[in-house]
Amino acid sequence: MILLENITKNFGKLKVLKGVDLRVDEGEVVVIIGPSGSGKSTLLRCINFLETAGKGSRISIDGKIVHRQKNDINMLRKNVGMVFQHFNLFPHMTVLQNVMVGPKQVLHMKKEEAQKLGIELLEKVGLADKHNAYPQMLSGGQKQRVAIARALSMNPQIMLFDEPTSALDPELVGEVIGVMADLAKEGMTMIVVTHEMWFAKEAADRVCVMDDGLIIEEGTPEQIFEDPQTERAKQFLQMLL
Amino acid sequence: MESLQLIITSLPSFWRAGLMTLQITAAGVFIGLFIGLVVGLLRVSDSKLSRYPAKGYIFLIRGTPLLLQLFIIYYGLTSIITIPPFPSAVIALGIHNGAYIAEVFRGAIQSIDKGQMEAARSLGMTKSKAMERIILPQAFKRAIPSLGNQFIIALKDSSLASTIAVSELLLRGRQLGSSSFRYMEMLIVVAIWYLLLTSLFTLIMHRLESHFKTS
Repeated sequence: MILLENITKNFGKLKVLKGVDLRVDEGEVVVIIGPSGSGKSTLLRCINFLETAGKGSRISIDGKIVHRQKNDINMLRKNVGMVFQHFNLFPHMTVLQNVMVGPKQVLHMKKEEAQKLGIELLEKVGLADKHNAYPQMLSGGQKQRVAIARALSMNPQIMLFDEPTSALDPELVGEVIGVMADLAKEGMTMIVVTHEMWFAKEAADRVCVMDDGLIIEEGTPEQIFEDPQTERAKQFLQMLL
Repeated sequence: MESLQLIITSLPSFWRAGLMTLQITAAGVFIGLFIGLVVGLLRVSDSKLSRYPAKGYIFLIRGTPLLLQLFIIYYGLTSIITIPPFPSAVIALGIHNGAYIAEVFRGAIQSIDKGQMEAARSLGMTKSKAMERIILPQAFKRAIPSLGNQFIIALKDSSLASTIAVSELLLRGRQLGSSSFRYMEMLIVVAIWYLLLTSLFTLIMHRLESHFKTS
């Protein structure tokens, strides 16, 4: 279970997050939607400390507060997988090496073991046959699936997805969303920032609408998509449809 | 015609001097790479305590001529320690190139997309681990063309060692020129030697570049 309390973030004078509270239970899939600039990505990045949230913000996992110290942060990052909009695969490594590097370097797993795990995960995302390829030889959808396998290699409790399909050509979105939906079915705890409404409808337990640095509305996909309460949420959803 | 013959027949008599030039350059570049890597990494550090000394080093070394640095080491330090000509030349060349190579590494490191560091950190790697495994291997590759350029500059700069009586190419050319009264011919021989050596360097760097491109 991950609990975010009063998350704030300023970039200079710009207040990007204005005190966000969010609780995600084990096995829950939460989709965050909202207009660009509403703070969705920043919120996600605060969760694993790629951005440092402001004073008074509190992040806890399974009841334990994550303090702003190296040890706590590195421990948290081992437990939280992240998938980025632009994949951020390591270009100097093969696909398999990309998936092995975390377990080997961080968990000090033996090479054979990491290799076995890597192949397993690549099979899971349907790319075992590409294990010797370099990232630049893959399509965007394949890259993102490798990135998902890489994040899973640390056996995380929670997966964060930061607009995982926004940089993809439309015809490649499906394969990535498919892998994510499978993960959701397996019971992975997920926080997903996305504009793919059908993923939200199919896989999400809960949808949060963000606007101007706050979560303005949350509920089941049906509640949010069919009967939004706030005026801003209504406007935003109308734009999407 | 006779000059051309003299040039050709004199080429082999510069063999030892050529080797000396190569030795000064290789040793100097080696020290420069080491200093450059350390100073370059300090230069991109988050901590001011590491960054400022690195900035100071680059400021001092890049802002003064190599010849002056060489004289300070060879003549200036005599009150404390006497360093023979060859090591003086190597040290000066190393310190001098260290500053430039540090800037090459800094540029290469900063040119790597910041998503790379984020991805590595999000896997739980420490900053130094991410630097070692993710950023530096990519940065090295990117630094190779600029490093090659710097090595060629170092090769030519090694001629300054002639001013402190290291018998490298330029000094050899001047000596043979004055003893035979055939200055022009001897200096042309020196030029040919430098061109041969810089071509050799260029070739090696091209090989390295294409090797890393395919791997």
